[in-house]
Amino acid sequence: MTLAIFSFLYRDNPIYKMAESLLIGVSIGYTLVIVWSSTLMDLLFKPFFCNEQYGLALPFILGLLMFGRFLPRTSSFSRIPIAVMIGSGAGVAIPVMLEARTLKQISATVTPLITESGFPDLSAIVVIVGVLTTLSYFYFSREHKGSLGISAKVGTYFLMIFFGATFGYTVMSRMSTFIGRMEFLLTEFLHLTG
Amino acid sequence: MRKIETRHWTFLGLFVCIGLVMLINVTVDHPVSAQTQKMYDFIDSLPSGSVLIVSFDHEASSLPEIRPIALAILRHAFSRGHRLIGVALLSEGTAIGYRLMRKTAAEYGRKYGRDYVYLGFKPQYIAAILSMGESIPRTFPQDYLGRSYENLELLNGVRNYDDVAAVISITDGSLTTHWMEYGSARYGIRILSGMTAAMVTTFDPYVDSGQMYCLVAGLRGAAEYERLINYKGGGTRGMLAQTTAHLYVILLVVLGNVIYFKSRRKRTTR
Repeated sequence: MTLAIFSFLYRDNPIYKMAESLLIGVSIGYTLVIVWSSTLMDLLFKPFFCNEQYGLALPFILGLLMFGRFLPRTSSFSRIPIAVMIGSGAGVAIPVMLEARTLKQISATVTPLITESGFPDLSAIVVIVGVLTTLSYFYFSREHKGSLGISAKVGTYFLMIFFGATFGYTVMSRMSTFIGRMEFLLTEFLHLTG
Repeated sequence: MRKIETRHWTFLGLFVCIGLVMLINVTVDHPVSAQTQKMYDFIDSLPSGSVLIVSFDHEASSLPEIRPIALAILRHAFSRGHRLIGVALLSEGTAIGYRLMRKTAAEYGRKYGRDYVYLGFKPQYIAAILSMGESIPRTFPQDYLGRSYENLELLNGVRNYDDVAAVISITDGSLTTHWMEYGSARYGIRILSGMTAAMVTTFDPYVDSGQMYCLVAGLRGAAEYERLINYKGGGTRGMLAQTTAHLYVILLVVLGNVIYFKSRRKRTTR
């Protein structure tokens, strides 16, 4: 499988296509089995039929309504479970998101710029300058001229550094994956290394 | 026969570089980062027998990078005598997580049910994280092997996150975000993570804000952790290859720029 996938580096070919199809097929098959056993069986059918938890009929019916989308006449029924999902999901997520993604991140950004010993905290200064200038780059209600233009320009440099770092880490990640496969080939397949 | 193009030489160069370096079997000395040290210190400082949840929140495709990290953390936790509860919030990670836990537990003579259990996959990760915060037995009435919660010695007395020291999320995506947003923010459970290097810039702000306790990232993180536990695993073996691959990429970038500027100068002089 590994060699078949690597063969794509030369050109697209039937062996690669076969390996790709096999990978997708196995992944979907495995996921279906896991979802069937751990979701439908464990959470629905077993409790419903064995433990007489008849209240589970409601989520089961809501789930069935989702399939209404496949027919034009019944497609409107699918809006009911979608509405339930969006409503409950938003209700759970909004307060948590506000706390975790906004308030805590703001409080971590606004830290004292002077250390206890009286020296400027360079890290805190870079963070606050980076946040403010990057935000100014995304302010589109005024033309980026004058001080706003300079701030936005500095913001783009921070963005570029972020993109560069992310790209660098991604390259590192892909190389790690490749090294992992190479280790498998050399150690477990060819037994060339211990 | 298709013509050999520049990109083929590029791939071949990388293949040869990494292949040769891996055959040499030399390890590179590397310093341990503060984040990896923090993870090690935390697990090391817990009293023996502490309960940790290890969540395998990754797909099979990232296994080559995830495996050394997960193995290093599991080895350390088992060697310290901690009790581990394995879960998976992505279906593909389910069997992988079980195999990794079983392998490392066997190395340290740990017994299933007493020293570690594997609860398996639970769909709808947000609902699963929230539900475990209320009641782990209600969320997982059975383990991965179909045994009931009551019959697993380790789980006696473990009702929810209050009885767990921390959650270690092994991830290749953004699932750890949900552990922080729902597990940490709502229930106050400490979140640690082992993740692919590609995810570091996403999670760094959460480490700075204290929402995530620490993270071990990529092959380098695995190598650092292996150094701390004095074990030569996939991370340590892969470090020289990774260094070589990075040097190769830098060389290509420099070479590409030289060729580009030379060809541009030629065009302008014409």
